[in-house]
Amino acid sequence: MTAFMTWLENQLAENSIFTLQTLSYYGDGLTTTVQLVFLSLVIGLIAAVPLAIGRGSKHAWIKWPIFAYTYVFRGTPLLIQLYLIYYGVVFVDGIQETWLWVILEEPFVPALIAFTLNTAAYTTEIFRGAIKSTSKGEIEAARAYGMSPQQTMRRIIIPSAFRRALPAYGNEVIFMLHASAIASVVTIMDLTGAARFVYARFYAPFDAFLFVAAIYLCLTFTILYFFRYLEKKLLAHLQPQNS
Amino acid sequence: MAATPTPLEVRNIKKRFGDTEVLKGLSLQAQKGDVITMIGASGSGKSTFLRCMNLLEQPDDGDLIVHGDPIRFKTTKHGREPEDWKQVVQMRAKLSMVFQSFNLWAHMTLLENIIEAPIHVLKKPKKEALEHAHALLDRVGLSARANAYPAQMSGGQQQRGAIARALAMDPEVMLFDEPTSALDPELVGDVLKVMHGLAEEGRTMVVVTHEMSFARDVSSQVIYLHQGLVEEAGPPDQVLGNPQSPRLQQFLAPKY
Amino acid sequence: MIDLQGYGPRLIEGAGVTIQLAVLSLILAIILGLLTASAKMSRNWLAHRLATLYTTLIRGVPDLVLMMLFFFGGQIGVNMITDWLYYSFDIDIFININAFVAGVVTIGLIFGAYMGETFRGAFMAVDNGQIEAGKAYGMSDGLVFRRVRFPQMMRHALPGLSNNWMVLLKTTALVSVIGLSDMVRVASEASKATREPFTFMIIVALIYLLIASVSEWIFARLQKRYNIGYGEAD
Repeated sequence: MTAFMTWLENQLAENSIFTLQTLSYYGDGLTTTVQLVFLSLVIGLIAAVPLAIGRGSKHAWIKWPIFAYTYVFRGTPLLIQLYLIYYGVVFVDGIQETWLWVILEEPFVPALIAFTLNTAAYTTEIFRGAIKSTSKGEIEAARAYGMSPQQTMRRIIIPSAFRRALPAYGNEVIFMLHASAIASVVTIMDLTGAARFVYARFYAPFDAFLFVAAIYLCLTFTILYFFRYLEKKLLAHLQPQNS
Repeated sequence: MAATPTPLEVRNIKKRFGDTEVLKGLSLQAQKGDVITMIGASGSGKSTFLRCMNLLEQPDDGDLIVHGDPIRFKTTKHGREPEDWKQVVQMRAKLSMVFQSFNLWAHMTLLENIIEAPIHVLKKPKKEALEHAHALLDRVGLSARANAYPAQMSGGQQQRGAIARALAMDPEVMLFDEPTSALDPELVGDVLKVMHGLAEEGRTMVVVTHEMSFARDVSSQVIYLHQGLVEEAGPPDQVLGNPQSPRLQQFLAPKY
Repeated sequence: MIDLQGYGPRLIEGAGVTIQLAVLSLILAIILGLLTASAKMSRNWLAHRLATLYTTLIRGVPDLVLMMLFFFGGQIGVNMITDWLYYSFDIDIFININAFVAGVVTIGLIFGAYMGETFRGAFMAVDNGQIEAGKAYGMSDGLVFRRVRFPQMMRHALPGLSNNWMVLLKTTALVSVIGLSDMVRVASEASKATREPFTFMIIVALIYLLIASVSEWIFARLQKRYNIGYGEAD
């Protein structure tokens, strides 16, 4: 390992911008980005399933609050949501004295909260659409075989909705990856934050931003291929048959 | 030496799709007033042949002469193509086509459909086109539907409207590509009635159809195609009444 | 009553900037989208490859990164070009890239790629029989495009167009990061100055929701107009 690092350092010795030092910034930035995106997606996904089910509920007191939530979080820019939560937690009276401040002080946490709320809203709508588009035939068959509404939901609708939601959810994952760049606005050192730092330091916009653009491109393609692979495996039953 | 040029003549048309040769050398001549019906099994190439006549399909070989004017072709890396598309456009204005799926322009009313090509292709003044259109609508019995959109009309109405649209161009020759195949049986009769009327008034028509009644009653010539070649051709009494080839006999035999 | 502490007029100005930015970007995006769609559908191998490269790059890189690239890198890049012009041809011009221009160009480029996909799908959704009928009646390619293809394509494109607009609208918030005084930037400054982030951010959020609602209403009316003659009968 040390041999590789020495070799790398020698390679980069000429370059003033791409030094080992700056590469480490990018590396840290990448880690932060991945953490931020992954965590918000996972939590958002877990939250979205019950929300999506509730969205279709007959009870107005369940349905409407969820609808209001998704409407607001999908209808306003993520940046606004981020500012609201980031500045909001700072300026709430008395919060700096509570124990919460320990975790909230770190800009990562408000950003995570904002991103999670955002992706949960979009994912809820995606699932809602997938649930709604379950073919009536499948539901009727379940009823005819004596399944209760809850059983039908759990055993038939949700599994099939998951698969139908795959293409749209893949897009959402990529969208979150791109949206995560906004975290740099509130001084989080994610990948974009690292690029801005390098730019500010060396006044080299092309080096800095083109480099991270390339990294984002690679990440995007990885996600794309992953989802295509998933679609192939899980949606095989929907493909036209080759006789 | 003919006094007026032959409205439509095609010679030795060949066409292949990929490896399959669909048309193996077909010829046809339509004189003024001829009603030529082409029959044959699915895949015999009759629709493809018809579509070669107005170059919706490009024949790989053969001649196409419309109103005495031969279409000039050139060979490119994609295959054979017309040399002068302006010539093709002019040619198409003389041949009107009625499609199996009607193909009325969905975003225009029936009236607008009928006046569209006369105004934009033939450069007729709008007033003249409208007058003619109303007369044609009357003729096909659709005056009441002039301002309806295609989606609001039944299949039979759409097809009659399509025929009116074709007539509005005052065509030399009318091409019909299985005009009744997509219609419910009850509606077929209305369309056939209109087509009968056209034949009786002396229109030059080339019709691809499965409707034997039309072939028998109004055609001047019936052509039976099989696998891209003319198997039998002649007056309807001869071809339909006394078929020579066994395949044609089987084709005409009632199937229950 | 809500006390805007004097920031009211500036907020309204900012909202104006946001709307101007969004509309201009939309126009650029539609133009680029139509060009991209036709490039992707053409037989020209080069046009097809360029268009694919364009859409791939745009959809693989975050909006914010592109914006900073164009804004920070753009001025330097343009300077390099004008320098070269000066040294080679003695042409002395100075093009200033301001934040507004950078914003319009970036957002226009980004959504041009998405519009390209929308338009391409819409063109392909036009029933081929309609085109054939046009050709069979002696219409030239140009005439068929103008009278049949384009009107029918627009009908298919409207939902996609509307979706893209909604996302575009929210993306305009990013220009506040490169210093443009849109309403998000004004709200951000006001928040820091007055220590009342909720007030201003919520107002801006509401304005966005308002613009979104108005847009939805406009698109609904456009849909109705373009869908005339479809759907009722079946």
